[in-house]
Amino acid sequence: MKKIMNKLFLSCLKATELIEKNFHVQLSFSEQMQLKAHKMMCDACRNYEKQSILIEKGMETFQKNKKIEIDLEQLKKQINLNLTETKK
Amino acid sequence: MTSNLLETWVNQYTSGLYSWAFHKVYDSELAKDLVQDTFLAAAEKIENFKGDSSPKTWLFSILNHKIIDHYRKKVHQPAALENQSDSIYFDTDGAWQESRKPKDWQSDDEKNVLDETDFQEVLQKCMNALPEKWNAAIKLKYMTEKNGEDICQELGITTSNFWQIVHRAKLQLRDCIDKNWHNN
Repeated sequence: MKKIMNKLFLSCLKATELIEKNFHVQLSFSEQMQLKAHKMMCDACRNYEKQSILIEKGMETFQKNKKIEIDLEQLKKQINLNLTETKK
Repeated sequence: MTSNLLETWVNQYTSGLYSWAFHKVYDSELAKDLVQDTFLAAAEKIENFKGDSSPKTWLFSILNHKIIDHYRKKVHQPAALENQSDSIYFDTDGAWQESRKPKDWQSDDEKNVLDETDFQEVLQKCMNALPEKWNAAIKLKYMTEKNGEDICQELGITTSNFWQIVHRAKLQLRDCIDKNWHNN
């Protein structure tokens, strides 16, 4: 019985996999339908999706805000030094 | 002659190359290394530079190869065995383990959460706690405008392998935030 249910409505493992895949590629029609049906019945996977979206957005914001100033002059000097050394 | 030329390029393009590399790898030490490697490779191959393209374009193409190489290596690293199993999160039928079921975070206002420094800090901490291979896979998603399939092709892994890595990484990330974030 459980196997038939999983086939029709996906297991949570499979459903969360599709949720992740959905961020990157268009799901096939049957995948979309299965995922939709699964989420209707499963609170945990609905929560998972909401939180996963939040994490995605969080990572985007975080990467955008993160700026690290470095000493570019120092880096240039270092590179030039390495370049002369390798030539020797 | 060539050394003068290279020195001019170093002075001219280091800043731009560094910003680009940092944007792609989000790690300043690594970005510095990649820029250094780019110039070293350029010094070796300078005879091949025919001037068909501008030096800037040429240097950036070398850098892009270095960046892809970096990710390729990371993604092909073997993951620790205990990380390969789904059984921490799911039972044999693929249903959530009771203790790991995602519960509501009680955070309806998405924008507020994203502005919260606390959430950002936990997210960063949890990202750093991921195995390197997964960390690389997750960062990769922001690296290019390319779709998943192109990324996989460049990295030499199958798409199903890539989804699997991203999926595992996300499971762990979510679980880590769940445990460490004050809202819960």
